Amino acid sequence: MPKYELILFKNMAQPGYKGSLEEYRETGGYTALEKVLKDISPAEVIDEVKKSGLRGRGGAGFPTGLKWSFIPKDQVGPRYLCCNADESEPGTYKDRQLMERDPHQMLEGMAICCYAIGAQRAYIYIRGEFDLGAEILERAIDEAYKAKVIGKDIFGSGFNLDISVHRGAGAYICGEETALLESIEGKRGKPRIKPPFPAIHGLYQEPTVINNVETLANVPHIINRGAEWFASIGVGKSTGTRIFSVSGHVKKPGNYEVPMGVTLREMIYEFAGGVRGDKQLKAFIPGGASAPMMKPEHLDTPMDFESVAAAGSMLGSGAITVMDEDTCIVWAATNLMEFFHHESCGQCTPCREGSAWVLQILYRIEQGHGRAGDVDQLEYLCKHIEGKTVCAFGEAEIGPILSSINHFRAEYEQHIEEKGCPFHPNAALSMAH
Amino acid sequence: MSSEVTLKINGRDVRVEKGTRVIEAAKLAGAEIAHFCYHPKLKPDANCRMCLVEIEKMPKLQTSCSTEVAEGMVVETASEKVLDAQKGVMAFLLGNHPLDCPECDQGGECQLQDFAHQYGAMTSPFGEVKRTFEKSYFGPLIEKEMNRCVSCLRCVRYCDEVIGSNALGSMNRGSMHEVGAFARQELDCEFCGGCIQICPVGALTSRLAMFDYRTWQLKKTESICNYCGDGCTLTLEAAKAEITRVSSETGTGRNGGDLCARGFFGYGAVNHESRLTRPVFRLADGMLEVTWQWAFEKASEGLKAVIEKHGPQAVGGVISAQCTNEAVYLFQKLMRETVGTLHVDSGARFGYINAVSALTEVFGSARMASYEDILASDCLLVFAGEMTETNPITALKVKEAVRKNKAKLITVSPYNSRRETYISHLPHLAHRHLQIAVGSESSAILGLTKALLETDPASAIPRPLLEKMKAAVSGISFESIEAASGISEAQFREAAALFRSAQRGVLIVGRSVLRGEAGYQSMLRLAELAMLAGQVGRPGCGMLALAKESNAFGAIEMGGVPEFLPGLQVTVPEARGHTLLEMIDAAGRGEIKALYLVGENPLRSIPQKKVEAALQNLELLICQDLYPTETTDLADIILPACSYAEQSGHFTNQEGEIQKLRAAIDPVGNAKPDWEIFSTLIHALKTKEKRPYQELLGHASADVVWKEAVMAMPQGWPTQKGASPEALSAYAAGAQITWPLPKKVEAAGRFALQVGQSLFHAGRMSTYASGLSTLMGAPAVLIHPEDAEHLGLDPDELVQLSGDSEKEGVRLPVKTSKKIAEGTLFVPEHFALTLKTLLPFTVDETTGVPYGDRGWVVLSKVSVAAS
Repeated sequence: MPKYELILFKNMAQPGYKGSLEEYRETGGYTALEKVLKDISPAEVIDEVKKSGLRGRGGAGFPTGLKWSFIPKDQVGPRYLCCNADESEPGTYKDRQLMERDPHQMLEGMAICCYAIGAQRAYIYIRGEFDLGAEILERAIDEAYKAKVIGKDIFGSGFNLDISVHRGAGAYICGEETALLESIEGKRGKPRIKPPFPAIHGLYQEPTVINNVETLANVPHIINRGAEWFASIGVGKSTGTRIFSVSGHVKKPGNYEVPMGVTLREMIYEFAGGVRGDKQLKAFIPGGASAPMMKPEHLDTPMDFESVAAAGSMLGSGAITVMDEDTCIVWAATNLMEFFHHESCGQCTPCREGSAWVLQILYRIEQGHGRAGDVDQLEYLCKHIEGKTVCAFGEAEIGPILSSINHFRAEYEQHIEEKGCPFHPNAALSMAH
Repeated sequence: MSSEVTLKINGRDVRVEKGTRVIEAAKLAGAEIAHFCYHPKLKPDANCRMCLVEIEKMPKLQTSCSTEVAEGMVVETASEKVLDAQKGVMAFLLGNHPLDCPECDQGGECQLQDFAHQYGAMTSPFGEVKRTFEKSYFGPLIEKEMNRCVSCLRCVRYCDEVIGSNALGSMNRGSMHEVGAFARQELDCEFCGGCIQICPVGALTSRLAMFDYRTWQLKKTESICNYCGDGCTLTLEAAKAEITRVSSETGTGRNGGDLCARGFFGYGAVNHESRLTRPVFRLADGMLEVTWQWAFEKASEGLKAVIEKHGPQAVGGVISAQCTNEAVYLFQKLMRETVGTLHVDSGARFGYINAVSALTEVFGSARMASYEDILASDCLLVFAGEMTETNPITALKVKEAVRKNKAKLITVSPYNSRRETYISHLPHLAHRHLQIAVGSESSAILGLTKALLETDPASAIPRPLLEKMKAAVSGISFESIEAASGISEAQFREAAALFRSAQRGVLIVGRSVLRGEAGYQSMLRLAELAMLAGQVGRPGCGMLALAKESNAFGAIEMGGVPEFLPGLQVTVPEARGHTLLEMIDAAGRGEIKALYLVGENPLRSIPQKKVEAALQNLELLICQDLYPTETTDLADIILPACSYAEQSGHFTNQEGEIQKLRAAIDPVGNAKPDWEIFSTLIHALKTKEKRPYQELLGHASADVVWKEAVMAMPQGWPTQKGASPEALSAYAAGAQITWPLPKKVEAAGRFALQVGQSLFHAGRMSTYASGLSTLMGAPAVLIHPEDAEHLGLDPDELVQLSGDSEKEGVRLPVKTSKKIAEGTLFVPEHFALTLKTLLPFTVDETTGVPYGDRGWVVLSKVSVAAS
């Protein structure tokens, strides 16, 4: 028996569950959709989701019901739902499991959302690398059309909905909601300047909601079991469960669904079985690569939006990456920066130029060519990226750098003074490229 | 609600219009905010992040280019926080920027230099290895130096948003981001040069004048382009005695600072080595370069001798429609007053006379629509073949109306609506494209007229005219019109209804009508059609006739044609002189003994054997030109004239806008401005004794000539824009409407050939511009790919075009283009070709305009052995 009740993972935890429509319906699948289509008005659905306290599971934690309510009610013309399945944040692999193992849970959530916001067209923007997920979703959509739970006149309600899968081509930035819209429109994936926001001018300049896979998967449960039930799980303004993807130097990496508010200590030492080889914990990232690093002293922070933010990081995508005592922090920061530099779209100056510059300095420090003043320079560059970019990527890329300097400045200085990496004496060779 | 808001910028209250961007409001308040990606012509993109400012109540700094002003907004553009952020962005931009300013053609007018300078001395904190790109090229004319690029995407956005060409795009990501030809293809665009003009740094520069100047050495002169009737304002930039660069300042002139390939890359013709630089006199055994004194004496003696022997009517004169108003005015004065002949004509005879004559006849004015009307219209009916090629900037206005203002576009032309290159193609943008058979414009006009007459004619049209129009179309069936034009009754009705229902409709007429058979009649019928659709006589409506030559309108208005005295005063029939063709015929008959040709080359422009015989028959042929031509080879006296870049004066564009030319450089060699030559000759003809020619110059400057010309104009000149009710009722009373019966021509294995203008050339002058001849250096026959495949033709394969008769054919390489309809061919007219001799030649019954641009030809492969 799991320690906490599973909600999103409940079906797939059953032995032999394959996620077919038939199996999903046996567990009560699509009854929530039928219920809203027959008995509940769109406004009431939005209200219910608002009351549940459900917040976005993609990273920013924006209240879902509130987001839906921004869609203009009386405006004629199309409106859209885009399901953000471009799960690309390093360390995050929860949406993948939700899509591959129980696709109808998410599709039902999408249908309910579309009904609530009055959309008749929904897209699933799925990460390019997710071949299997895309195939499973295509199959699930076909099943759903055949069973008439999507398509024309669903459950005889007169409500029509078409869902299609749109595969990305591998760019991290397309997980940014406005870059995602550009990409669906067939353009180069680069974030739009905001305002206007997607709720008013989204896909094809029409009102659009963009929600994460896990967010939408929660919706049928809220309808079936009520907003109060959902709000009773978790703590404070962070309601419901959360799937945490634990990775790095732990004994049992994996996805764990727990109520919001469990501590990081519980996640790492109980669920993930503790640090690999029983080594000392050095640092961890609590919410995906863009979340600032934390130290062992933060282990008792509860995993909810507010508490993690108060501790100087963010809950983000819920990916916990654990680093043991043998990890070189500069190496880790360099690794993350390589990723962000590779994924910077190149649209705006601070991110385009800054990511390359920061990476070059990190390379030098790690390879033993650090110079006095480099750490100050890194801080200067990060602070001149922060808040000055088109999208949140700027904040994302500096998170690990600034936090690692903040927590481990001495280790940086050591690299520079000793002209080399204390952990990887051959760093220069291994990084040569 | 007030349309203005008040905000505070750096402590100063500023009142600006709603919707103004903060960066613009700040400029009004005297605070220029550093920027790269912002440009007034483009939608904000906020990508450079240079223009960050502090706005009260907003936690983050905001990009002032994308933020609209709001009532009570408090903005700081130079606070410590702002300066720190801007310095940060500047440091990012300079990090990878090469220090190659000394060899960068942008140096001296570079926004990066200027804004970096604003922040004072700064030691670069960048101690890393700079990211480098290999230098590369966008085609033959544009150099791409991506190391200098600030990735502001102004070039890409201009190409998309303004030109609509979509030829450029972003390549790669992050710090390796670069601007590239879309999908990495070879750049195959309009080469408008807009990307070079709008680049704030030296990332995109012209290869035409690489390293030829430092920007501060350039002497800049604002003038008017010579290459078509659009009348674009351009800045001629000269280093030493040569035009080295052309630009057009954002927002200036009828063109608003936008140019086409001809305007931007076509200046090389001015300083071309082939220019005539000294007067030449024919001796029995050859040609002799002479002084101007000699030339003036010989020219005036020659003319005097002909007048004495044969009378003044034995003299004729023809002046190019690319000469200034001053030149045309003085030339017709020289001919009419000094020589005393009636025979004076201009290059406007080749088509534009149809427009001005017909519009004046019907409406009492040829000023019937402006570019503003196009921009404000909600429906455009375009009878203009390929407007992007003939009048690129007017086409730009049409594109803007369609794209930004959602105007409906109806195009009538033989082209396919497919677009395959990055060159704009109006039929591709059209809501209704009536793809007519080659040469069936009059049938298309008939179809639309019939559709309008039978449904909903406008009430404002004079009753007698309406009755005549109805009578004229009765008995002609839509079936016969469809057989001739290829357009069905339903299509005509649909297009007619669309144009009829427009709030502000503008009818644009181009060379396919003006230089097509019976162009004058077609123009009258189009004027009637516009009235029928209710699209004249109201603000924002009207007709615009496109001119090929820069001063076609002015040449007519200055009296350079037999039917009009200066100011469009109609000459009485008995005092009406010969048109160009009539002069040629008269010379053939021996009635005209002396011809004075200014910038005209009838041997080329009139594909008739009789021309050479007529010219040979003359006692005196004076040619005044820029370059040697087939005709100057026969001349007794050749006078070297100044080009548009070397003389001042005025051009009147196709809207009727009179615009000022300013001399940008000294005359090339010993060339003289046209007006100066005429002014001297006027007095030389009047004096008996020999005098130094300088003493004979009657006008101190082009300005003095202009003042005289203006004083000579009748009252009411220039005519007001729009129709005059008196003219309209007079026309209604006197109009005789007949339609040529539509007839279908069987192709019988032949191709319908059109000879016409290319975007990269204008007449022959442009072929002297190295920039343009790089883009198109030789003629080719354009053919639809399927036709080419059907005939088994490879690209660039040589084919022979031959006519119906046994005349010898013309050999040309083929190029395929999906724009060209199946069964048709297109050949550019700019290169010396005998092609036109294969085509039927007709002359307009009323206006004497020669037509010979289209006809049927047989296309055959040239076997390898034969070639």
